[in-house]
Amino acid sequence: MNLIRDIYQSIVRRDPLSTDKGKSELVFLNVWLHIHPAKVKKESLKFKHTFYLGFITFFLFVILVTTGIALMFYYRPYPPHAYQDMKDLQFVVFMGPFLRGMHRWAAHGMVVCVFLHMCRVFYTGSYKKPRQFNWVVGVFLLLLTLGLSFTGYLLPWDQLAFWAITVGTNIGSYAPLVGGKLREILLGGHTVGEAALLRFYVLHVAILPSFMILLTVVHFWRVRKDGGLSRPVWKLKPNKPEQLVTIGAPPQTAPLNAVAASTDKTYGLMEVVTGKPIFETITPDEEEDAVFSYPYAFFREAIALMVTVTGIMAISLFFRAPLEELANPAKTPNPAKAPWYFLGLQELVSHSALLGGVVAPTLMVLALLAIPYFDRNPSRRPSDRKWAIWLFTIFVVANLVLIVIGTFFRGPGWALVPPWVHVVAGAE
Amino acid sequence: MNRRNFLSWGSAGVVTLGTGVAVSLGAVVRFLMPSVFYEPPQTFKIGTPGDFAFGMPTFLVDEKIFVFRDREKGFSVASAVCTHLGCTVAHFQSDNRFHCPCHGSVFAPDGSVIHGPAPKPLQWFEVTLARDGQLRVDKDKVVPAGYRLMV
Repeated sequence: MNLIRDIYQSIVRRDPLSTDKGKSELVFLNVWLHIHPAKVKKESLKFKHTFYLGFITFFLFVILVTTGIALMFYYRPYPPHAYQDMKDLQFVVFMGPFLRGMHRWAAHGMVVCVFLHMCRVFYTGSYKKPRQFNWVVGVFLLLLTLGLSFTGYLLPWDQLAFWAITVGTNIGSYAPLVGGKLREILLGGHTVGEAALLRFYVLHVAILPSFMILLTVVHFWRVRKDGGLSRPVWKLKPNKPEQLVTIGAPPQTAPLNAVAASTDKTYGLMEVVTGKPIFETITPDEEEDAVFSYPYAFFREAIALMVTVTGIMAISLFFRAPLEELANPAKTPNPAKAPWYFLGLQELVSHSALLGGVVAPTLMVLALLAIPYFDRNPSRRPSDRKWAIWLFTIFVVANLVLIVIGTFFRGPGWALVPPWVHVVAGAE
Repeated sequence: MNRRNFLSWGSAGVVTLGTGVAVSLGAVVRFLMPSVFYEPPQTFKIGTPGDFAFGMPTFLVDEKIFVFRDREKGFSVASAVCTHLGCTVAHFQSDNRFHCPCHGSVFAPDGSVIHGPAPKPLQWFEVTLARDGQLRVDKDKVVPAGYRLMV
């Protein structure tokens, strides 16, 4: 029995979780958990502040990596086999449709959640100093998410795949100076063929996920180093520098048992240096408001994880990932539509490939990247940032409107057709 | 090491390192450009003149071309690849025009853009008669819309 106890204690060296020291050590003696602080501000964990969108996005990515690796066992990125393997996954492989469904729906979910997460961060002003750079990292994570979606849907080698990549890489060729070469490098040739499939596969399973993981690590690290999870706007301290107090009565905000740093606490100091930290600091009375990450934060994260996984599993039980007919370079489907999240872009390129496909998206990304540096208003209160909120809302609505038009109002030949009118494609 | 030495060795080092990085990046780009393309040839034979009917164009699926044969004017070959974003256009007999399914570009029978986002007219390729009597198309040789081969 002693041996078992010794082995257990060699693995788990913290104090029991019933003690505060044990709760802290659980976090900072564990390599996987120590990205968390030992204590978090209670209000930062409020669901209605963040909707846990960042966590959910991360969990969706975990689902995508897991199911993606599983799918790799049955998929060969070579035109004669690729579509056949998709059919095998659909009809032969044990749990194949379920795994492919999870991969597809988690991917769609990730696009949605990344976007909503960005909106949440904007509307709560959480990109403001000192968090500007983390917003920039986030924009690149959004681009990587879209890049992974784009490279992912070539792989089934069906009609959607073939024509989406044909159109997508042709949009790239409109880029000034490098366009033509860019397309040739992406495709490994001049047409969408076996070289292109292999290249998109390598991008999809190796290169883009690596960058995704690297930037995710930076993103999380910076959340922590920039002051932890952002605080809800409604918990911000009022702008008034001084509060009126009645002499003789205790101030309303005074904590009941505020004490100075106690001598019971121990600190591990690495080095004493002078200077003010760049991140938000906690004052003793704010610390009263903090709770241990174990169990408060971990419990909520576990709930978010379970809801995300069961949600994706449930959707995958009832809805299969779509698979169109085998890629046919000779026949473009009519209408040929990209997945919904690219239909806004497709709507733009249907007006002009250069302006809609290259200039507008580039300007949009540059505008997103510039937000934290141009918005120098330090206040996070919505009432102080009406202009910023209006501009961003217009941006969001414009994107949604374009997607809705592309999805529901475009028929054969990309003609404007209301969704309640049924048109039989006029192919002759 | 004095200041002068430090700066001269230092700048030499920076230049060497910069050159090394630039050359390596160039090598990476060159590596990604295939030296051989395993793609269908750009020049190919499409059959004898007698294989093609007069009037409406014949669509060749694999080559993505339309072959026109006119009683007075002879043969001409148009690309079926939309100049906008590379979808395959279809020829509608009803209006004798080319329609692109992706973004709605419409081309006239001579290849010029009638409406839609396409920036350029459809391409016309050189068509010649090979020694064995077959028609030969060269997609690398783009010719003006009026080009005809009389057989």
